[in-house]
Amino acid sequence: MTESEMIEYDEIVRNCCCSYCGNNCDDITYLLKDKKIVGVRHACRLGASKIINDTDQRLLNPMIRNEEGILEETTWDIALDKVTQLLSASMRPLFYGWGETSVEAIKKGIVLAQQTGAVMDNQSTICHGASIQAFQNVGHPVMTLGEVKNRSDVIIYIGTNPMDDHPRHLTRYTTFPEGFFRQNGREDRLLITLDPKYTNTAKISDKWIQFNMNEDYSLFNAIRTILNGGKLKSDKIAGVDKEELYDLVDIMKNAECGSLFFGLGLTQTLAKQRNVDVLIQLIEDLNKYTKWSMLPMRGFFNVNGFNIAMTTETGYPYGVDFARGYPRYMVGETTTIDLLNRREPDFFMAVAADPVIQFPGYSIKHLTQIPVIQVDTHWGPYTEIADIVLPSTRVGVETEGTGYRMDGIPLFMKKVIDKPENCHSDEWILHQLNERIKKINGDT
Amino acid sequence: MKIINLKLKESVKVALEFDNVLPELLYDKNIQQINDIIIYQGNKERFLSELFEIKISGDAENPDDCKIVLDGDLHRIKYIGNNMAHGTIIANGDVDLHVAAMMSGGHIIVNGDAESYAGREMTGGLLEIKGNVKEYCGSSYIGEWRGMNGGTIIIGGSCGKQLADCMLSGNIYIKGDCDILAGIHMSGGYIEIEGNVTSWPGGQMKKGVIVIKGNVGEVLQGFDYQESICHPLINGKYHIGQYDLYIGDSTTRGKGQLWIKR
Amino acid sequence: MEYIIKGGIVFDPLNHIDGEQKDILIKDGFITDKVSPKAKILDVTGKLVMPGGVDLHSHIAGPKLATGRLYRPEDTRRGIKTFPKGSVQGFETGFSIPSCPTTGYRYSKMGYTTVTEAAVPPLEAKHAHEEIDSIPNLDIPTLTLFGNNWFMLKYVKENNLEDLTLFISKWLKLAKGYGIKIVNPCGSEAWGWGKNVNGLDDPEPHWHVTGREVITALTKVNEKLGLPHSVHVHTNDLGHPGNYETTLETFDCVKHIKKNKNVNRNQVIHCTHVQFHAYKGTSWRDVSSGATELIDYINKSKHMTCDIGQITFDETTTMTADAPMEYDLFRLTGLKWANKDIEVETASGLIPSIYSMKAPVSAFQWAVGLEFFLGIKDLWKIGLTTDSPNGGPFIRYPRLLTWLMSNQKLNDMLDNQVHNWATNRTDITSYDREYSWNDVAIVTRANTAKILGLTDRGHLGIGAKADVSIYDIDVNDFDTTLMSNAEIIEKKLLNALYTIKDGEIVVKDGQITNLVKSKHLWCNVVGLEEEEEQLIRKIKPTFNKYYTIKYENYGVTNHYIKPDTRFDINCNKQG
Repeated sequence: MTESEMIEYDEIVRNCCCSYCGNNCDDITYLLKDKKIVGVRHACRLGASKIINDTDQRLLNPMIRNEEGILEETTWDIALDKVTQLLSASMRPLFYGWGETSVEAIKKGIVLAQQTGAVMDNQSTICHGASIQAFQNVGHPVMTLGEVKNRSDVIIYIGTNPMDDHPRHLTRYTTFPEGFFRQNGREDRLLITLDPKYTNTAKISDKWIQFNMNEDYSLFNAIRTILNGGKLKSDKIAGVDKEELYDLVDIMKNAECGSLFFGLGLTQTLAKQRNVDVLIQLIEDLNKYTKWSMLPMRGFFNVNGFNIAMTTETGYPYGVDFARGYPRYMVGETTTIDLLNRREPDFFMAVAADPVIQFPGYSIKHLTQIPVIQVDTHWGPYTEIADIVLPSTRVGVETEGTGYRMDGIPLFMKKVIDKPENCHSDEWILHQLNERIKKINGDT
Repeated sequence: MKIINLKLKESVKVALEFDNVLPELLYDKNIQQINDIIIYQGNKERFLSELFEIKISGDAENPDDCKIVLDGDLHRIKYIGNNMAHGTIIANGDVDLHVAAMMSGGHIIVNGDAESYAGREMTGGLLEIKGNVKEYCGSSYIGEWRGMNGGTIIIGGSCGKQLADCMLSGNIYIKGDCDILAGIHMSGGYIEIEGNVTSWPGGQMKKGVIVIKGNVGEVLQGFDYQESICHPLINGKYHIGQYDLYIGDSTTRGKGQLWIKR
Repeated sequence: MEYIIKGGIVFDPLNHIDGEQKDILIKDGFITDKVSPKAKILDVTGKLVMPGGVDLHSHIAGPKLATGRLYRPEDTRRGIKTFPKGSVQGFETGFSIPSCPTTGYRYSKMGYTTVTEAAVPPLEAKHAHEEIDSIPNLDIPTLTLFGNNWFMLKYVKENNLEDLTLFISKWLKLAKGYGIKIVNPCGSEAWGWGKNVNGLDDPEPHWHVTGREVITALTKVNEKLGLPHSVHVHTNDLGHPGNYETTLETFDCVKHIKKNKNVNRNQVIHCTHVQFHAYKGTSWRDVSSGATELIDYINKSKHMTCDIGQITFDETTTMTADAPMEYDLFRLTGLKWANKDIEVETASGLIPSIYSMKAPVSAFQWAVGLEFFLGIKDLWKIGLTTDSPNGGPFIRYPRLLTWLMSNQKLNDMLDNQVHNWATNRTDITSYDREYSWNDVAIVTRANTAKILGLTDRGHLGIGAKADVSIYDIDVNDFDTTLMSNAEIIEKKLLNALYTIKDGEIVVKDGQITNLVKSKHLWCNVVGLEEEEEQLIRKIKPTFNKYYTIKYENYGVTNHYIKPDTRFDINCNKQG
């Protein structure tokens, strides 16, 4: 690979927040020329490419699908009125997404959901919702990432591959950096990966334990059995030699400060939230011996912010149904995929998310049968089925707002450049919808 | 006995919420009052008579003397018998989520299948489902560590994942098969499964009894084999055959009993 | 808007008004002595009129609350209440950890107008302020956690009070904090290694600094800066039998420190939820009350105040920055445990807690709390709290008052309802004090405002903020000492006849009639700005190395504190 040429720029903006993954890195430098971003420093390849390729496929004007099935540009007033009309006529509206917008916008969305008796849900429903359920069932022993950087001598990643999907997780936050009590960085730490696959994270780990897919629950149960003084009856559990498990428990018990990260490998396999449930109890047990904490590897930069904003306003973290005027939360009943698979929703709005990329085919099929609204920045598969498209702006680039990192640290994401002329922030769009609904409901 | 027949006129797409249709709420109401009962469908309020053909016969002195019979396509009617304490509900067909949730007394019969959360947080009464049930049958509410605490559930068919999560007391009988993690976090009560169990019964259980008459995929490492008994006496009843007894889940210092027929 | 609150029976202890029939005049948000003829008359003849309630220690906003709500949907479900379309307030949710709007509704209906959020880690202060934005109708000062901060530990170790002063002054600006909170000093840092400290003189494992050194250093800094509130201390060893000695030592360790001359309060230290810190014995088996010794000390001292942290017999949620204590509780009860360690600053823990009348320990703790209420002679030394939601949710304040106002009621509880540990293990039966309305006004308004150093509220003198609460109780025809009236008192105090905030009616007949944005109260030390910047230049490299966010993104910007009330503290005035 050759070094790219020096970028020409006339302005530099430092300490910006990356609006890509749950790391929410806040040390990004943007290089600007003529008020356009031409270069990015410090960001990983994912974060950087999202910014650099920002103008590609950008949605620039509101659109409505005409009778021939073609998306046609229109005015904001017409598009917003149309959305309002469809929404107010709807019996089971569903708002989904929110992982890539600000808490300020999410709060406007919650007001809209309250006003219209809608269900409000985010990406947790298909990602770490299961982890949240497990937290609700048995506990929530977490930490901020600096605790890992400064203290941890044993770091375990289970069912997650940060080297590819949260590239700076190990380099900026956990394994490689020098910490207060870990002045030699990587050398002072033992890195272990548990994963059915030999991932890029496994490759750089000191130890990789391969286990059988879908047998997570039985594996963690065995580890807890050892920790609590029991004996294993089988020689292999979930495909792992029992000696290896005894060794692992030894390492965990003798850590000075251990940290464990887990990903969708756990939440999306057979026992789902119970995989996490038993893992949390493992962490709780370990604290009898030494210090251990854990953290889910959250995906989008503000998927955690949605959960937090939702609990602030309603007490429930995701999948909240306002149909009867007060919030209800019941996984399997008020969660997006279940609602779609039950064929209930008659209105669907995705804000800052692409359900067609994220959802199973059977759920998407229902989306093609009902009015579907897109509020987003870029043309994607979801645009292809959207009936109305409302072009929005990028938080942390064109719009300011709050995001919560995967460990719950709030960050104010600043505005760096101006938005495309005819785009509006999610916050503005939702406020407009709120005002219109208010008018229809006869309030002043 | 007062019998109230409710026949759904036509199938609905958006589920109806039936928590206002209980013997204790209807036993002293006349036809006009019953017609005007409000039920919820999505974010809309509907009169019962909009959606149902309603027939009443007989009279009831008290709610125990009242029976509600549901007919038609019931598969999108949820919360049937929610919070019920008295009387009888018979549902002729498949029912939706939360049938008999938080039920404390009375009798519910479902002549068909039931969706998830059947008998959630039940504290009394009898729930009979002739067909299959989905997940979380007899479970607790999310985050609540006190689950089903009394009452009886009888399932004629098979049962989905995570049966009786956090159960404290009561009886559950499954005639068919059962998916993973039956009796998870259980700390009391009795579960009897006649069919096969996929894997991991009694995960993280503390107390209580699970009897399995069919085959079990995998028993968790947290369970310790104790002994094998012929025709054991469990929960006041002799079980014919040779049974292996396991105690667990040791990971939670549990003393639950897992009886598996050889 | 102008109002005349006509004919009420007024209790305004700071102005020595003890149940006089008196009109209160309001103009432009303040109490005045003259209004125009256009003033609206609220006829409340004979009704109970007091200044708006001031809570000096409650947990209502921030990361702990968010965690609590996130992991306790079963608590959220317990408090669900819907409201018909057209009503000003929305739905309510939650019992011990209500949603933010619900918190505002409930406090407001109780006649409270100022509530202190008692523990905010600076790193997540934006979160607390963002939640405050969702709580209506209150003024909210936040106390910033310093008791386990690494920079603080370093300065204390080096005995560098100059830099520590600058650090605190700057950090209050960054966190938009009102005062200094110390929680289990050194213990929560030790928890970073799964350890705790044992008492006031047990050094923290790395810096080898003790709780005593932290508390005295921060008290000196607090008095040097002249902050309106004193240091607010949650002492070491919370909830451990035998801890009353640590508590006594903590009371005593700052008595020689001179109070800043410019402040309005009497104390140099405020010790919070003392009930949890007043146990004798070696284990829960032989535990007994240490309240008598502590009360004795408090009665003889002049340099300290306290609040109680009363138990109320509910299923609630405990939450504190004293994370190791929460893990001990988890080992005891096995209920679901939440913990969050926050880099460089603190830790925090949560666990559901069930206080039952029939449980010996709950009944004991309940009686210990009441001992303080009844035993401390000078009520200007205490504030009424339940450490909400730790001892019980704040909606139990009225119920707590019924135990204090009626001996008949209290004795009935002791004789017939609670476990006998309440009487056997404490001296509760030796008291026969009954609170008057004036006493109630002191511990819920006048003195709580005074302890916080908020001179503009807690009273109804000319120029005070027009925060007034009026209850539908005919003071002169109502015997508060009757047990049969306890339920009525509770109901009336939960549902104010009027709550007036900044001269606007926000509650009428127990219903919310108006929603206003809560104000963020914070202290801005004036006069040290240049030195603060020098300090920042010095510590920024360390900051950026050990935190995982950049210094530039650390502080709470004005975006998060609209509207605010800024208290400019001129620290160059001779203190």
